[in-house]
Amino acid sequence: MTEARIAELVDRAFDYRGYVTLRRHDGSELVGFVYDRSASHLDLYDETATRRLRVPLAEVADIAFTGEDAALKSQEIWERRKGKLESRETPAHGDWADPGKILVLVALEQELRAVARALGSAPRGGVVRGRLQVSEAVALSIGMGEGARRAIADHHPRLVVSCGFSGGLDAALSPGDLVLATAVRGAGGEALVAPESPRQAAGRALYGLRCVQGELVCSTAVAASPEDKRALARPGALAVDMESYPVAEAAEESGVPWLALRAIVDPLGSSLPPFTREARRDYFWPALRYALSGPRAAAGLVRLARNANRAGAALEEALRRLGPAFAAAEAHR
Amino acid sequence: MGIPAGQMVAVGRYLVKQRLARRERYPLVLMLEPLFRCNLSCTGCGKIQYPVQLLRRQLSVEECVSASDECGAPIVSVAGGEPLLHPQIADIARALVDRRRYVYLCTNAILLERKLDEFEPSKYLSFSVHMDGPRAEHDHSVCREGVYDVAVKAIRAALARGFRVTTNTTLFEGSDPERMRGFFDEMMELGVEGMMVSPGYSYEKAPDQEHFLRRERSHQLFSRMLGSPKRSWSFNQSPLFLQFLMGKRDFECTPWGNPTYNIFGWQRPCYLLQDGYAKSFRELMEETDWSKYGRKSGNPRCQDCMVHCGFEPSAVRAAFESPQAMAETVANMVTGRL
Repeated sequence: MTEARIAELVDRAFDYRGYVTLRRHDGSELVGFVYDRSASHLDLYDETATRRLRVPLAEVADIAFTGEDAALKSQEIWERRKGKLESRETPAHGDWADPGKILVLVALEQELRAVARALGSAPRGGVVRGRLQVSEAVALSIGMGEGARRAIADHHPRLVVSCGFSGGLDAALSPGDLVLATAVRGAGGEALVAPESPRQAAGRALYGLRCVQGELVCSTAVAASPEDKRALARPGALAVDMESYPVAEAAEESGVPWLALRAIVDPLGSSLPPFTREARRDYFWPALRYALSGPRAAAGLVRLARNANRAGAALEEALRRLGPAFAAAEAHR
Repeated sequence: MGIPAGQMVAVGRYLVKQRLARRERYPLVLMLEPLFRCNLSCTGCGKIQYPVQLLRRQLSVEECVSASDECGAPIVSVAGGEPLLHPQIADIARALVDRRRYVYLCTNAILLERKLDEFEPSKYLSFSVHMDGPRAEHDHSVCREGVYDVAVKAIRAALARGFRVTTNTTLFEGSDPERMRGFFDEMMELGVEGMMVSPGYSYEKAPDQEHFLRRERSHQLFSRMLGSPKRSWSFNQSPLFLQFLMGKRDFECTPWGNPTYNIFGWQRPCYLLQDGYAKSFRELMEETDWSKYGRKSGNPRCQDCMVHCGFEPSAVRAAFESPQAMAETVANMVTGRL
């Protein structure tokens, strides 16, 4: 092919709003979108539009216009419409499905701070907006699960993650260990099985961390003493919390997949201070009062704070690892 | 006046700095296109015709910030595509606002109301809502029923939450000047801060090629539409540019005034023409053959163009070139006369 013919094809390829196939002199072929050209080379995005390529013109033997011309297609659609307007019912995102957010629901402010670190953002008024890899994420502190329905209705998430601290029901679990729920069991004994696909993806992402999979038991009161926890223990149950069940129930009602991920703060054999029996979002002032009540109380509180920090760090690391897993799931949508 | 005093002072300071540094070419507004996908397919738009894989691509927050830092323009117009389809658009706006850039987030407003929670009101952030005229004209222009009503509702919601809101209007052949005057009244009654108007550019890739305005027709239309302007109208534009649209002044294009950055790089030479891409802003400014563009160049693609991205910078520069032009600009702004 003559140089003049190649130059003409290059100009056409640059103007073309579709993919072209370059045939090289060595017989190899390359499909891409030409977005720039010079006297010596062509610049292209590859077929997946993820990689930029530069091809010397000296290597180009021929160019075929193999992809659909987006400009021509747009004109044809417009002509077919003949002035007719799209309906007002057309989805707000047009042809681009709203990927939806990942909604992370926690009970306590301290849990929210751990999640905020993973999302690379700061809490503002009980809300954290950020990202887990490419996925848009919103985290809310909603108390003991009561705000889950409202949060799901407001945010239209594609996945709900119930996330936070818990007490151990299995003697093998230590502070900072993670529990990924295979099911959550409500106070009345009814159980919800965790959706398979996000749980498996999360399980793979958390591989290598101190993380076990099993049942979470939800209690309506804080299981503060070893006796309280033993009373809730049952075969397969690993940890206890107060919010995973209502969150999972709200997600199921809305048809949204969910995950429950907890980090152990108080192992089976340990007790929580009495002020934790009252469910609240922030324990700062009750904790301060308790700490001032005596040296034993203060020492116990230091231990609890250390465990909570360990649990917070474990949750942060786990959420960071879940980011790529969620991104991979998004790429396959 | 449709431009807040603080913004005028910041832009004025920037322009004085450029003149003192004797810079011949400098940007005024960065046209940032973080993505090309859109939830509308408007009849006069030639921006979004790409294969789907490229439409899925978008600039990251870091790329947007770095383009703004590289360019240094005091104003950033975030266009597209529909910017609100970008999942990190609020982060992009926040990062630019943190750098004290005056951000005009151009949107068709279909998603605006539901996205408002993600933004914080700021004197540096304005939603520039695409409104091509009264209800019937706008819905026809965007090829979808009901978009005008959705946009008006979103404007009300944004204003109620304390956001700055402006409108941007593109005009085509067939626009009725009287109806447009009524539309300006409607927008001002809604409470928008200011309005922007411009003739549409005849994009080669736009589906409808018949309704782009030629230069003479632009003069006629804008003269009738903006003649005897009402005192209640505020335009977020230089009065000299509006006079240019009316045929009262003539300017040459300043194609480097509104440099454009998108997923391909720095677009040569301007927001409207795609003759290639530079890897850096410096390369764009220094290695583009600017003599090939503008009306005087004889470039046929520039002959009918009167679009704001090329001529608003010319009008702003002109105001700073003589005390008389500056006095006229100020007088026009204060009196609202054109």
